[in-house]
Amino acid sequence: MAYAYLFKYIIIGDTGVGKSCLLLQFTDKRFQPVHDLTIGVEFGARMITIDGKQIKLQIWDTAGQESFRSITRSYYRGAAGALLVYDITRRDTFNHLTTWLEDARQHSNSNMVIMLIGNKSDLESRREVKKEEGEAFAREHGLIFMETSAKTASNVEEAFINTAKEIYEKIQEGVFDINNEANGIKIGPQHPTTNSTLSGNQGGQQAGGGCC
Amino acid sequence: MGGQAAGPQPSGAETIQKLCDRVASSTLLEDRRDAVRALKSLSKKYRMEVGTQAMEHLINILQTDRSDSEILGYALDTLYNLICNDEEEEQDESEDAVTPIPASGKHKNVSMPDEAMQKQSDDLGAQFTEQFIQDPEHITLILSLLEEFDFHVRWPGVKLLTALLKNQGVQVQGIILVSPMGVSRLMDLLADSREVIRNDGLLLLQQLTKSNAAIQKIVAFESAFERLLDIITEEGSSDGGIVVEDCLLLLLNLLKNNSSNQNFFKEGSYIQRMKPWFEVGDDNSGWSAQKVTNLHLMLQLVRVMVSPVNSPGASASCQKSMYQCGLLQQLCTILMATGVPADILTETINTVSEVIRGSQVNQDYFASVNAPSNPPRPAIVVLLMSMVNERQPFVLRCAVLYCFQCFLYKNQKGQGEIVATLLPSTIDANSISAGQLLCGGLFSADSLSNWCASVALAHALQDNLTQKEQLLRVQLATSLGKPPVSLLQQCTNILSQGSKVQTRVGLLMLLCTWINNCPIAVTHFLHNQENVPFLTAQISENLGEDERLVQGLCALLLGICIFYNDNSLENYTKDKLKQLIEKRIGKENFVEKLGFITKHELYSRAAQKPQPVFLSPEQMLFDHEFTKLVKELEGVITKAVHKSSEDEKKEEDVKKTLEQHDNIVMQYKDLIREQDAQIQELKEQVATMTSQSEQMQTTVTQQLSQIQQHKDQYNIIKLKLGKDSQSQANSQADSQVNGLQTEELSQLREDLEKLRQQHTLLQTQLSDKDALINTLKSETAEGSAASDNTEMLKELDALRSRVHSQVTEIDQMKTEKQELLRKAEAVSSEAVSSSDGSLDAAKMAEVESRLAAQTSETERLKEESKSLSKSRVDLDQQLAAATSTAAILQTEKAQLQTEVQESKKEQDDLLMLLADQDQKIHSLKQKLKALGEPVDDEDDLDARDQTDDDEEDDDED
Repeated sequence: MAYAYLFKYIIIGDTGVGKSCLLLQFTDKRFQPVHDLTIGVEFGARMITIDGKQIKLQIWDTAGQESFRSITRSYYRGAAGALLVYDITRRDTFNHLTTWLEDARQHSNSNMVIMLIGNKSDLESRREVKKEEGEAFAREHGLIFMETSAKTASNVEEAFINTAKEIYEKIQEGVFDINNEANGIKIGPQHPTTNSTLSGNQGGQQAGGGCC
Repeated sequence: MGGQAAGPQPSGAETIQKLCDRVASSTLLEDRRDAVRALKSLSKKYRMEVGTQAMEHLINILQTDRSDSEILGYALDTLYNLICNDEEEEQDESEDAVTPIPASGKHKNVSMPDEAMQKQSDDLGAQFTEQFIQDPEHITLILSLLEEFDFHVRWPGVKLLTALLKNQGVQVQGIILVSPMGVSRLMDLLADSREVIRNDGLLLLQQLTKSNAAIQKIVAFESAFERLLDIITEEGSSDGGIVVEDCLLLLLNLLKNNSSNQNFFKEGSYIQRMKPWFEVGDDNSGWSAQKVTNLHLMLQLVRVMVSPVNSPGASASCQKSMYQCGLLQQLCTILMATGVPADILTETINTVSEVIRGSQVNQDYFASVNAPSNPPRPAIVVLLMSMVNERQPFVLRCAVLYCFQCFLYKNQKGQGEIVATLLPSTIDANSISAGQLLCGGLFSADSLSNWCASVALAHALQDNLTQKEQLLRVQLATSLGKPPVSLLQQCTNILSQGSKVQTRVGLLMLLCTWINNCPIAVTHFLHNQENVPFLTAQISENLGEDERLVQGLCALLLGICIFYNDNSLENYTKDKLKQLIEKRIGKENFVEKLGFITKHELYSRAAQKPQPVFLSPEQMLFDHEFTKLVKELEGVITKAVHKSSEDEKKEEDVKKTLEQHDNIVMQYKDLIREQDAQIQELKEQVATMTSQSEQMQTTVTQQLSQIQQHKDQYNIIKLKLGKDSQSQANSQADSQVNGLQTEELSQLREDLEKLRQQHTLLQTQLSDKDALINTLKSETAEGSAASDNTEMLKELDALRSRVHSQVTEIDQMKTEKQELLRKAEAVSSEAVSSSDGSLDAAKMAEVESRLAAQTSETERLKEESKSLSKSRVDLDQQLAAATSTAAILQTEKAQLQTEVQESKKEQDDLLMLLADQDQKIHSLKQKLKALGEPVDDEDDLDARDQTDDDEEDDDED
């Protein structure tokens, strides 16, 4: 299928926070209550539309277990977006965020968009981490934040799409070098000609700011 | 050390020792470099010695002499020679090359003349590799050296790492996997502009990705598919050289048994990029060996994506996109093209098979493909012709059978179409049909054809009761003059004629599949009086090894006759057949014979995968689908045979009780289901109620805030009213908020009325006074003295006092009003405090009652707020009315005042007049005195006049 852009994502976070379920809910629109531990990395993909443009998301769902950490680190470099997930019913998963973030910042390209996700928002009665705490952490580290439920699908679409929007905006601002595929962004196959006119249009929209 | 090297050249070890010392101790780079170069040149002839003595020194060089690429290159080359077991290409530049340069290409191992020597070499390679990787840092060191751009370092580095991976794949993979960015860095080799490095990088990646899913995924993540497909296209696809082959091998490594990568490959739209690979021209003669290899691998790549071992969903979506992008169509073109090498044709058939297997759309398309012959024939027919043709290669015939099986797999429509070509009504005598070919195969002299046709026909009946019954209608004309024989009959006839094992096995499999789960077919089979005696004879006889499988299949067939028997034939009811087995064969014997099938050595092989693959034509005995059938039936038949009729009766009883139990259980289940539904309903109700209660709460808070607003507004109004009343000096009207207000109002009205009456009274009094004045005037005019003056003055006094009392009244009213205001405030504050509904929403059990309470509460509050707002409106109106009345009163008062003023003026005038008259009277008196008339009370009158005047003056002030 034709797409204007292709973004590579990774999903990271402690084991059992629901990374694979988020991906399954996003790609297949279903929830699997019993899930095997992810071994290494699993792949999923879906097409979304932003600003009237088809964008293909390729998502690598990584294993949360410590033993796979060295393997999953290999995926940071080539990703344009990362979903950093914790479990709102388990404080330790929230406490580990700093480690995850350090790891991600160290191995990824500096422009990678990171979305912080507090998953399992359906389990309000067992909540251990307040929404405000997540918001504060995100504010402090310059991340986007959202609480989701892979079970009820609440905010799942938004989490993936908002991350894509952020990347898309960064492309528009010229922050990302879209010709370097190592950034996790690829221009669609039939795109080169349309892309040049597209960027021209944007130059016009931005009152010529980018033209000069 | 080198002792056991059967030392014809003891000087070798010594030289090497010397060189090692130089490498270790020399301070001059040139010296070290020369020594390493010398070691390199000796590393082949004295592999053992160099390996044992120099390895550590060489590694040291790699660590310390990072700045000199030349010495690094030599060291890496030497290490490569030590570790690599393949006698590949030689480093020509070595001054004293020891072994002759083999002429072969780099990918072909030269077969060593002496196997023992090769073994020894392998051992050495393994030993040195182990030694090298003992410290994982050494691998990391090589990885970092690969960052070096210099050709002399990077190239031998790549080769060394490849050799290490070949020897100790798992360990080296593990080390690379955990070293940061290790795999990603190796992927960068594919981007190297120097082809040699890129190509050797491909070989390295092949070794790296061998059976390691984690690495395969990282490599794929690093855009390997994109790069490899680009290289394949650049190199000319199937026409390309060995590089294309290497790319394809790497792709196979990445995709085989790796569902995540397969998904990525599919989602990355790379299937579409495979399509052009299969665009072959019309002239397909003279394909190079390389092209055949390339195409073969390309076909394998397609098969990996749609393999029957993949998850059904994954395969299905790949099959779909293969049809949508035209890849299947392209493959079918190759299928029907001329001149395609048999090897490729066979693999293409296998590939098409798996692309259509179980996919209705693709199967339908395949059924519509025609061969470009005249007249055009369906591809299926052309393929079947090859299947039943003895002269075709065995693997090709197997491929066609597989293709036919895949075409019919889960394809009821296709099964119907095939069977229809055999039915009397639809037979087209003019053209060759699939059915004709299958029948021809079934009864040909070639046992392979018999077997293939049997299995193919069995697949047309698989899980399809309709076609099993339809096929019973097929009649065959065997020879002229004889009555036609049914197909079923003909099969059993051939079976009993004692043909080859392969033929009989094939036919028995067909018969088992046919009558399985189809009582009508069982009856048809039993109807032939010869069949049961034949089967019992086959099973009971003590035959040789080769016949065992046939015996087993006969037992299976007889077993199906029992299991799916509807007791419609009196001679062959279930019970009678069982008795027969007991008498003629023996139960134990029967079960043992039945067990021969699964115990056959080829059985489990066939059970593994759907594709019929046989090492030789003789091994062609089992069909994959049939093994499933056996698995399913073996147990139930064994049970059925072991049961006596009494047992069966007992079982019937048990069944009945069980059924009763089942009924009870069912009832309970229903009850549970019902309760479940109720619970669900109640849950929903609770949910809606909770949401309702939430809504209510929000309305309550809203209303509370509204009430607050009203209160505020009310306060403002009150303030305004207060101001208004203050500004009105003698306002009677004012605003009261509670019930007292109407009273007050009526009081006000009464007051007003009083005032009016007083006003009219005053007016009448005024007019009286006017009249008085007039009379006075007339009196004076008549010369009479002011008679009623005293009366008038009194009245004036009364008037003044009345005005005074009115003022005090107004004051009183004011204070009353203030009091009333206070009371009203108290009332409203009470109202507010009572509306404070603090509700607690928590426990589900209490939700309903609370909800009711909340509802009533909100209702009450609503009403309260409504009444409050109503009363507010009323008040507003009353206020307005009161204000207007006050205004009216004020104007009236002003009028009254002016009237009072006027009356005073008039009084003044009157007084003036009186004074004048007095004077006149005085002058008249004096005149009268002068005239000598006596005058009475003159002084008294004067004095009284005087005091009246004074008092009036005071009042006026």
